[in-house]
Amino acid sequence: GGVFSGWDEATRTYDTASWQYDRDETGRPRRDPSLEDPRCIFQQVRRHFARYTPELVERVCGMPRAAFEEIADRFTAASGRDRTGAICYAVGLTQHSTGVQVIRTAAILQLLLGNIGRPGGGILALRGHASIQGSTDIPTLYDLLPGYLPMPAFGPDTATLYRYIASHRTATGWWTHFDQYIVSLLRAWYGEAATAANDFGFGWMPRISGDHSHQGYWLDMADGRLDGLFVMGQNPAVGAPNAALERRALAQLKWLVVRDLVEIETATFWRDAPEVTAGTMRPEGIGTEVFFLPAAGHAEKDGCFTNTQRLLQWHEKAVDPPGDCRSEGWFVYQLGRRLKDRASRDPRPHNDGLRALTWDYPSRGPHGDPDMEAVLAEINGFRTADGTRVDGFTDLAADGSTACGCWIYSGVFPSDGRNRARDRAASGPSGQGWGWAWPADRRILYNRASAAPDGTPWSERKKLVWWDAGRHEWTGLDTPDFPRRTAPGFVPPPEGLPGDPAIRGDAPFIMHDDGLGWLWVPKGLKDGPLPAHYEPLESPVTNPVHPRQTNPVASRLERPDNPWASSPDPRFPHVLTTYRLTEHHTAGGMSRTLSRLAELQPALFCEISPELAREQRIAHGARVRIATARGRIEAHALVTPRIRPVVVDGRMIHQVAMPWHFGHAGLVAGDVANDLIAMSEEPNVRIMETKALLCRVEPLGRRPA
Amino acid sequence: MPTTAFLTDSTLCIGCKACEVACKEWNDVPGDGYAFTGFSYDNTGALGHSTYRHVKFVERLRDGAPAWDFSSDVCKHCERAGCLDACPTGSIIRTEFGGVFVQPDVCNGCGYCVVSCPFGVVDRRPDDGRAFKCTFCYDRQKAGLTPACAKVCPTESIQFGEIEDLRARGAARVETLRARGVADAVLYDPRDSEVGGTHALFLVRGDVREYNLPPAPRLPGTRLREAWRSAGLAGILALAATLVAFLAT
Amino acid sequence: MRGEEKKTPGVFSQKVDTIPDREARLDAIRDEARARGEVAAEGMAIAGGPLPPDAPVGYYGQPVLKAPVWTWEIPLYFAVGGIAGMAAAIAAVASLTGADPALAGDARLVALGGAIVSPLLLISDLGRPSRFLNMLRVFKSQSPMSVGAWTLVLFSSAAAAAWLLGLPQTPPGWTPLRVVVDVVAAVLGLTLATYTGVLLGVSAVPVWTANARRLPLLFAASSLGAAISAVELFGHFTPAANVIGIAAAAGEVLFSGLAHRDGGLAGVMRDRRTRLLLLAADVVGAAIPLVLRLFAADLVAARTVAAAATIAGTVCLRYGWIAAGGVSTTDPSAALDPAAK
Ligand SMILES: Nc1nc2c(c(=O)[nH]1)N[C@H]1C(S)=C(S)[C@@H](COP(=O)(O)OP(=O)(O)OC[C@H]3O[C@@H](n4cnc5c(=O)[nH]c(N)nc54)[C@H](O)[C@@H]3O)O[C@H]1N2
Ligand SMILES: Nc1nc2c(c(=O)[nH]1)N[C@H]1C(S)=C(S)[C@@H](COP(=O)(O)OP(=O)(O)OC[C@H]3O[C@@H](n4cnc5c(=O)[nH]c(N)nc54)[C@H](O)[C@@H]3O)O[C@H]1N2
Ligand code: SF4
Ligand code: SF4
Ligand code: SF4
Ligand code: SF4
Ligand code: SF4
Ligand SMILES: [Mo]
Repeated sequence: GGVFSGWDEATRTYDTASWQYDRDETGRPRRDPSLEDPRCIFQQVRRHFARYTPELVERVCGMPRAAFEEIADRFTAASGRDRTGAICYAVGLTQHSTGVQVIRTAAILQLLLGNIGRPGGGILALRGHASIQGSTDIPTLYDLLPGYLPMPAFGPDTATLYRYIASHRTATGWWTHFDQYIVSLLRAWYGEAATAANDFGFGWMPRISGDHSHQGYWLDMADGRLDGLFVMGQNPAVGAPNAALERRALAQLKWLVVRDLVEIETATFWRDAPEVTAGTMRPEGIGTEVFFLPAAGHAEKDGCFTNTQRLLQWHEKAVDPPGDCRSEGWFVYQLGRRLKDRASRDPRPHNDGLRALTWDYPSRGPHGDPDMEAVLAEINGFRTADGTRVDGFTDLAADGSTACGCWIYSGVFPSDGRNRARDRAASGPSGQGWGWAWPADRRILYNRASAAPDGTPWSERKKLVWWDAGRHEWTGLDTPDFPRRTAPGFVPPPEGLPGDPAIRGDAPFIMHDDGLGWLWVPKGLKDGPLPAHYEPLESPVTNPVHPRQTNPVASRLERPDNPWASSPDPRFPHVLTTYRLTEHHTAGGMSRTLSRLAELQPALFCEISPELAREQRIAHGARVRIATARGRIEAHALVTPRIRPVVVDGRMIHQVAMPWHFGHAGLVAGDVANDLIAMSEEPNVRIMETKALLCRVEPLGRRPA
Repeated sequence: MPTTAFLTDSTLCIGCKACEVACKEWNDVPGDGYAFTGFSYDNTGALGHSTYRHVKFVERLRDGAPAWDFSSDVCKHCERAGCLDACPTGSIIRTEFGGVFVQPDVCNGCGYCVVSCPFGVVDRRPDDGRAFKCTFCYDRQKAGLTPACAKVCPTESIQFGEIEDLRARGAARVETLRARGVADAVLYDPRDSEVGGTHALFLVRGDVREYNLPPAPRLPGTRLREAWRSAGLAGILALAATLVAFLAT
Repeated sequence: MRGEEKKTPGVFSQKVDTIPDREARLDAIRDEARARGEVAAEGMAIAGGPLPPDAPVGYYGQPVLKAPVWTWEIPLYFAVGGIAGMAAAIAAVASLTGADPALAGDARLVALGGAIVSPLLLISDLGRPSRFLNMLRVFKSQSPMSVGAWTLVLFSSAAAAAWLLGLPQTPPGWTPLRVVVDVVAAVLGLTLATYTGVLLGVSAVPVWTANARRLPLLFAASSLGAAISAVELFGHFTPAANVIGIAAAAGEVLFSGLAHRDGGLAGVMRDRRTRLLLLAADVVGAAIPLVLRLFAADLVAARTVAAAATIAGTVCLRYGWIAAGGVSTTDPSAALDPAAK
């Protein structure tokens, strides 16, 4: 028990064959509109979740049954024709070994309650950093290209552009346009050198050669398999899981470039890391050559934020950066020019791509920053024949006649002087007119669902888009997220149609090849087809639901420098969670260095309940030690009734909560909470588990166990 | 000029301390140390010469469940102000907006205002030597702007406006809250006390004393007459004793 | 009184490495808090106690009021100014009654000495000494500090004039003017010796305000005793001086006793420094001199000791009361008392 069918223990993967839909003679999934067929998805889902009763919730989570029922009642009561409910989440839901399943559960709930695509509904990721959304749209992720196109890896599927497209372009639904987006991207990057004859330069594009996700390459680094690293706007010596491991990994590099506003711990690890203070790492013994390059802050450069609501908001430089500080744009542009220059003097074929790369932005300002609007123009896309801008991604073509740096952003800058990210005159309930939201300035995705199957709004109060029968098109208070002229009653002919026309007029989820919201996920994720409860990778209890203790597809990355406690573990009886303070920002480079903020939270503390304090004889304000299988740190005890022990499966579990903003540099210093956290990977998005681990908290006077 | 005031509604406050930071930025107030207090999330501790806004974090159990109330404190800009009465240099003045303002170019750091404030607000900065407290953003108000702390408050917990409007708004809000079952909402408006009212009103839950708000703030000046009378008597007694001594011996 | 330390009481230090026995630790912390008005050591709440930590009164037991920021000069100024002021009054009476012109002359000298030292002390306590003259920008009757500053400035001039006019070399024709100046100096002197009590009483500090009526009387008695003692030390161990000394000491015992009985001093007397200073003021400054003056008035040595003790006592009294004020601000209960009228 505890795994779905198709599980292979040896490879720790699922074969999804047994999860596929039952299809009729024409190859279409069978449907039962009465929802009564015991094999229909609805009944499957019902059966699967039937075990998760309020009693079980209480047993597993320690949440009183009455409280759970009240929330369930209120949430369902707030959903319907006239009302909608939203689920907002951030890293309390995601930084778990089951993070994606948690969010999927929310998706199932919202689909069933009719809270998707409607005003006031949805599942809203409150994403963290400024422009963190932008950093996945035009990604800093190793396995994605702009606009969520997959990065090619070595392998037969990506030998040619044709095969790459064939393996990602769907027969129906929106991704039938895949070829237009990738070809336009190649045309933007390689310009005139990208021709139909040479696969538009697809062969020049780098290929993934291994696991280069954060934890993958840091482990490579720790093992001496990486020569150099650029760290731009990140402080892993403090912010990354198992930070002690990451600091030791930094010491294995030959060179390290850190670009940051301040001299952060990642740049100074070689002289003042806790390991250096403790004497276990000696500066003389570290061969890493560290280059610290001061960066310009956002007020010191033009550019664009894309935050959680997919809204592009332009900002203008307010002041020139001081001294040697330079913007990211300047640095990357200059680096590219130097690399191209070297490539032009080295005719070997592996430099062909670099030589072909278009890299000719006009520069501005005293430091010669590349003109950010020129970059945005390229992102928006243009016709290669005459350079005129496209109006949106529907203008993009697969024949090389258009170039576009990121198809989902297409339309943000349709002509010179019309940078819509600059717009600041909101009007209407969707806020259109302020900035520009991708795609196509849609403020609510899948908003076709705000109208009933017949195209009329579910209610007057919650109307958003609707079918205008007179004009034979979708219209409303937001940009309709649906083929504009596909009538509500449209049903594709039995033999099917290619592309978007394959989607029924009452199927709002156009990014799926069947246009439907998926309660059951037969493909695309590494987890099972439905979410199931698994305990965190370290847990004080055994899974009360089924014999499989933890997410079978999550990875522990276990090794001597990333050790784990057992579950339960007598050495570590308490549960540790890490969180943020309002007064600090992430790894502290932008807050521990400012007196205004640093004085408001000057010291690392850990919050514990009065009950735990009594049990461990810890005085309020006293120094305590917090230990996990990875390491030990010290903090002040903040004893507060806000932290409550929970009763899980009949046992009282104590929780220890601490902020993770502290490091050894800055105006206020403190131990690094991430020295306690293990590297681990949720299988789909590869996030680490920071919200639930095992620890022990004890007064400092006591001898470490 | 209208008499302006603050209404700080702690039922809206999220404890973000943006008001503290904005005040320090606008008024260029120096840092006041990196000490950990252990008073919940409040490491500021109290108003002082380098803290003109101070967010209090009150933790308690309410109906058995942990409750966390935040309230942003500030100079009360008293109707009858102890600090203003005390100031021998005339550095402390009442502005056209009704606020109480320390003129930094006049203050000579005598320190008397420090012991004359019934709310423990104004204080002498050791390195600078002069007394400092909330200016009520006199400079901003003169330019028609909202004080920095109110401007930045993301929840409108700090409301700025004409004093009678705010009194009415505060009273109405208490009614609304009580109707919603928040029975312990009260408006701190010590109009009947010796200070004759304040230009900073506070809406809090529970006993105002838990927020260090004195229920009956005392105005030092109310004891002026009796103290001087006593001084007069002392002088007469001393003279009399001396006179008797010299005449009788 | 508070030095340069910035943070409020009850602050934990950053580095603590042992957990001693809880109750003993709590006692130690309470003592420390009382003694220094702040706690620089670990944990103050009962282990596991919820926040607020067994909340005493108010917001985590934090003071509502600010402690005085005055430095060492101010209590000394209070004492010196009091001596000078009362010396001027003694000079005027001794001279006008014709009882003891020689004593009057030395009393004028004492007044002059005090008149010179006092402004120096006051100015050096100012946060911005160069701005002393801003005191004279305005006259505010509602501010005892303003009244006091003007009094001091005028008194200093009057005391200097009185001393000059009182010199034996001064031609007799100046006598009427000397009489006028003596009277003016006496009136200003009496004000100078008593306004400091008004200044403390008209404040927000609990123990001072609770004694707003007693402090001027107490300070007057103490100043009178110290002034006559200072004059005595010039060799004027006269019976009249002794009577003044007896009256002053008796007055101080009376008013101090009233303050201890009704003035809410119990709390501040738990503070060691305040306790020692106030006890010294009463015992050294009043009780011992009183006994000596009553029972050994004929012995010059006894009179010398009595005089010196009285002067020491008057200094202790001012330091004691200002310390008491500081300690009383650390307890929020008085300021939070809803019964205050
Ligand atoms: N002031 C400030 N603002 C920030 C940041 C900052 O550092 N400082 N960081 C930004 C960034 S990068 C991000 S990603 C966001 C993150 O924003 P948040 O997600 O709000 O960040 P956290 O405080 O880490 O965690 C949130 C909460 O998750 C709860 N939690 C822990 N485990 C669970 C669980 O199993 N279930 C549920 N339901 N809740 C759980 C914790 O109680 C905690 O209060 O904030 C952004 N905003
Ligand atoms: N235990 C634990 N660990 C966590 C989390 C947790 O909840 N618990 N949360 C995780 C999350 S959600 C996140 S997002 C990460 C964040 O972790 P990091 O990204 O490592 O931390 P930051 O401090 O945000 O690093 C950003 C740096 O960018 C610099 N910077 C700002 N603007 C610019 C600029 O314009 N140019 C350049 N070059 N630099 C700039 C800042 O000074 C700062 O040092 O931490 C993760 N770590
Ligand atoms: S609160 Fe204090 S500082 Fe503010 S006006 Fe009133 S007396 Fe003056
Ligand atoms: S310290 Fe300055 S503001 Fe305060 S009373 Fe003295 S002169 Fe006035
Ligand atoms: S009014 Fe101005 S000076 Fe006063 S607290 Fe607000 S921001 Fe600070
Ligand atoms: S800014 Fe507003 S919400 Fe934030 S702490 Fe201050 S009063 Fe509260
Ligand atoms: S900084 Fe504050 S107000 Fe702004 S988005 Fe973040 S939480 Fe909201
Ligand atoms: Mo984040």
